[in-house]
Amino acid sequence: MNPRTALTLCAALALVLGMSLTACNQQTPAPVPTALRQGVTPTEIRIGASLPLSGHAAYLGQETLRGATAYFDYVNASGGVHGRKITLVARDDGYDPPRCVANTQQLIIEDKVFALSCYVGTPTTAKILPMLEEAHIPLVGAFTGANALRDPFQRYVINVRPSYYQETAQAVKHLVADLGIERIGVFYQYDAYGFDGLRGTELALKEFGLAPVVRASYARGTNEVEDGVGKILESRCEAVVMIGTSSPCTRFVQLAVTRNPDLLYYAVSFVGAEEVARQLGPEEKAVVLVSQVMPPPDLPETNALLWGVRQYEELNRESSPGLPPTAVGLEGFINAKVLVEGLRRAGPDLDRELFIAGLESIRDYSLGLANTLTYGPGDHQGLERVYFTRLWKGRFILLTDWSRTRHPVADCP
Amino acid sequence: MMLSRLRSLNLRYKLFLSSVGMVLLISGVIALVARGILLGTLHRELELRGAAIAQSIAERGGGFVLDKDHPGLVAQLFDAAQLGERKALVAYLFVTGGEGDLLAHTFIRPFPEGLLRANLLAPGQLTTSRQVQFEGHEAVDIAVPMQEGIYTLGTVHVGLRQSHISTLEDKLRLTFLGFISLVGVIFFLLALTLSGYVVRPLVRLTKAAEAISRGQLDQPLQLDQEHTWDARECPAYSDTDLPCWHLDQLDKAPDQTHPTCNPCKFYHARSGDEVVQLANAFANMVWSIKLYRNRLRESEERYRPLFDANPDAFLVLRVDTLRFLDANPRAQDLYGYSKSEMLAMTLADIEPEDSPAGVHRFLLDPGPTRQVLSSKVRHFRRGKEPIFVNVHACRANYRGREVVIFSAVDVTELVEKDAQLIQASKMKTLGEMSAGMAHELNQPLNAIKLGSDLLGLMHSQGQCVLPERFSRVLTQISTQVDRAAQIISHLREFGRKSDLTPDAVDINAPIKGVFTLIGQQLALQNIAVDLDLTEGLPKVMAHSNRLEQVFFNLVNNARDAIHLLRAKRSGDSYAEISIRSMLEDDGRVAVSVSDTGCGIEPQALQQIFEPFFTTKEAGEGMGLGLAISYGIIKDYNGTIAVGSEVGEGTTFKVTFPAAT
Repeated sequence: MNPRTALTLCAALALVLGMSLTACNQQTPAPVPTALRQGVTPTEIRIGASLPLSGHAAYLGQETLRGATAYFDYVNASGGVHGRKITLVARDDGYDPPRCVANTQQLIIEDKVFALSCYVGTPTTAKILPMLEEAHIPLVGAFTGANALRDPFQRYVINVRPSYYQETAQAVKHLVADLGIERIGVFYQYDAYGFDGLRGTELALKEFGLAPVVRASYARGTNEVEDGVGKILESRCEAVVMIGTSSPCTRFVQLAVTRNPDLLYYAVSFVGAEEVARQLGPEEKAVVLVSQVMPPPDLPETNALLWGVRQYEELNRESSPGLPPTAVGLEGFINAKVLVEGLRRAGPDLDRELFIAGLESIRDYSLGLANTLTYGPGDHQGLERVYFTRLWKGRFILLTDWSRTRHPVADCP
Repeated sequence: MMLSRLRSLNLRYKLFLSSVGMVLLISGVIALVARGILLGTLHRELELRGAAIAQSIAERGGGFVLDKDHPGLVAQLFDAAQLGERKALVAYLFVTGGEGDLLAHTFIRPFPEGLLRANLLAPGQLTTSRQVQFEGHEAVDIAVPMQEGIYTLGTVHVGLRQSHISTLEDKLRLTFLGFISLVGVIFFLLALTLSGYVVRPLVRLTKAAEAISRGQLDQPLQLDQEHTWDARECPAYSDTDLPCWHLDQLDKAPDQTHPTCNPCKFYHARSGDEVVQLANAFANMVWSIKLYRNRLRESEERYRPLFDANPDAFLVLRVDTLRFLDANPRAQDLYGYSKSEMLAMTLADIEPEDSPAGVHRFLLDPGPTRQVLSSKVRHFRRGKEPIFVNVHACRANYRGREVVIFSAVDVTELVEKDAQLIQASKMKTLGEMSAGMAHELNQPLNAIKLGSDLLGLMHSQGQCVLPERFSRVLTQISTQVDRAAQIISHLREFGRKSDLTPDAVDINAPIKGVFTLIGQQLALQNIAVDLDLTEGLPKVMAHSNRLEQVFFNLVNNARDAIHLLRAKRSGDSYAEISIRSMLEDDGRVAVSVSDTGCGIEPQALQQIFEPFFTTKEAGEGMGLGLAISYGIIKDYNGTIAVGSEVGEGTTFKVTFPAAT
């Protein structure tokens, strides 16, 4: 036996020993869910949604559902997507995360939906993110700008609207750079949504070497904002960033404006600009700014310039006669539009993976808004544009010139 | 087959393989045992974790169950399932109600109904765990009761993903295996190094030993790298007369006259492990061999000329084969063979095997001193030409064999001279005998004369001779003629020059011969002869006529002594010569010759065997008689002794070995 043979023999021996120890338990690969085509029949595609149709955030849910339904009805009326009609199964979660979770489970198991869409709310949507991953079910367009949906990248989450980080970052930039305001407070809803906005604001302020001078919060689902108002006013801040829903925010403005008429209020899109305007009424003089992710559809300029907004108005009129178009509704409408475009691109032999591939193939797609839609593999953030509006005489108008924030339009009697 | 292959492996691989095999075996056993312990622990730990999850849900979820808050329960389950790292471990969670009905679960597929009854909790049981299967997955289902007071609201089930457990196990196993492998590799390398460390010097020693066995002692030995030998540095190597304190076992190193010896550059006592010690001892041994061989060579070189240039022939004979191993030039010259021929010959080629003396004899009976001198041994030269040599043989060891080294001195010429001398002396003896012989011959002649005269007288007187008387006279004449012829024949026999090889001789024959020639003369001189010869004696190896010469000398001397005594006493007193032959107790054949003559002076007794010594008047004797007799007797390995009393007589006693 020569030395080389001996060495080889020993190595082989060691290898065999090693193999015998490892080989006994080879890990079986996790089976891929077979439900790739769930919710798809030759004639129907079922889309699920869990959104607040009752409770304090019902307005958002209802408007979103209305906007989406308007587009789906339109598509179904025009023959559907590759011959399939789209059915939207909506379940009410009352802006309650547990209910959203239960709803989503039921949507997947009982309703056997193909995809999810039109979710509303950060705490609710954030809760179901792990389920999406597990069930391999896509969620297209959620009415939340929460960072949790965007970072880290999740394959089954397709975002349409810009994030709260983007909204707050641009807002803070305007407040600090254009208006010279440095004392900024944050009033937020004590939940995932509020934290997300707070963090976005803090990050934006940090860019200018600033920090919120005060932080105040309220509990989700309540209107108990008095403590917050007190805290904010005590800090003698010049502007307050509000991360909350319409009712508490409206109440905050109403309470605060009497004690400090000069305070500037800013809220992120989720607050629901139309609802805030409606609740504050036309007499409210406070400077209330709302960043919007959709162009306000009720303004003549957007209506005239953007065909997407016009289309929404028309279809909204058809499906819900008598009800006005809203920014929230427009977002639901746009979400539905993105979803349908994805389905179209996925082709007739639809499954979830093809659907995501279809969505990711969208480049510079015109939705009829001020900016186009682009996705890509590893990029599920659709729109980037943030619109700023100001409350003026009972409605929100587009704010384009920040130097005229306090008096956006020439005073006319 | 395998075993024999294993046996034929060299030491290095034996060491290496056995240590590696040992390490692998131990590692394997440790791996199996530790694996069992570790995996068991891991399994238990994971089940405890699962139970803890289930218990926390049971504690907090009771409210939801009581409130029939399904979403709350579902959300709680999802929260619990997706909390941090649990997501990977927990395959599912579900809660069943009091009647075993499903209340909530974390499946996002239709709930596998089989799970409901897969792992039922017995009443009063705090936890139960069971391996279950669902949708092609494997899991460990852990169930704990959800209690409100003393009543059971339902059961919380936690499914631990078997694949995750397996992954953890694999990770653990891999880590452990990696560790064991690392240990194995370290031991492997260690064994490799160690076996190399042990074996490399052995290989070097083996090579060195092989080189030595091929006689390559003078090549440099690569025993260690530190020392290279320069033999010139050793004083005992260059001068073999100088002792080496190490080799010659002196007590300590010599004084400062040889500074190179202190310390010795060749013998080391190195400290180190056994391998180093072995190499060191080996190096020392090699140096000893070198030194010793050098000495031997020098010694041989010194004595070789003595052997080669010796004027005597020297031969070396193997004892076992009786073949020659060496012969010096003189030996080659003496025996007439070349050395190569010599080496192909045996002892029998130069010496008759039945030789009474010489090397054969020596081999049979080395004697007490292990060396012997044999004189006048008959050897053969080339062509079977006999030569006589004096052999001096001794036993020795020569190149590791038992040998007989013998010298052979050519004495052929001497022997021949001896023979001539004996012959001359015999002739002289013959002259001395002539008077006696005349008497001897006279008697038959007288008888013939008488007979023929009688017949003549009868014839002249004309007397008729009676036929029977005539016949008796003729017979008488014939007998006397025969007797005379016998005397003459004997005389001729006596005078004949004998050849060089002796015969077996009846010792009585030469004695009788002497008296055939001079018996009558002695009678006339009034000397009585008493012959007392023992018949049937063993024969002796000798020449008959030489023995006769000896006995004649002795009888002649006896007669002269008697005459001398008579002359002194001037009277014809009674005188007698008695001769006896007998067998001695030691097996030798003895002959004594006694006379009643004048005797020998004690001081002369010492000298009587010396040549040219005589007590007789000048001109009467040459003084060679006894000397030659002595020589003859010695040639036959005989002895001669003398006892004498002045005025009383002398006795000579001669003994010979019996012929074998």
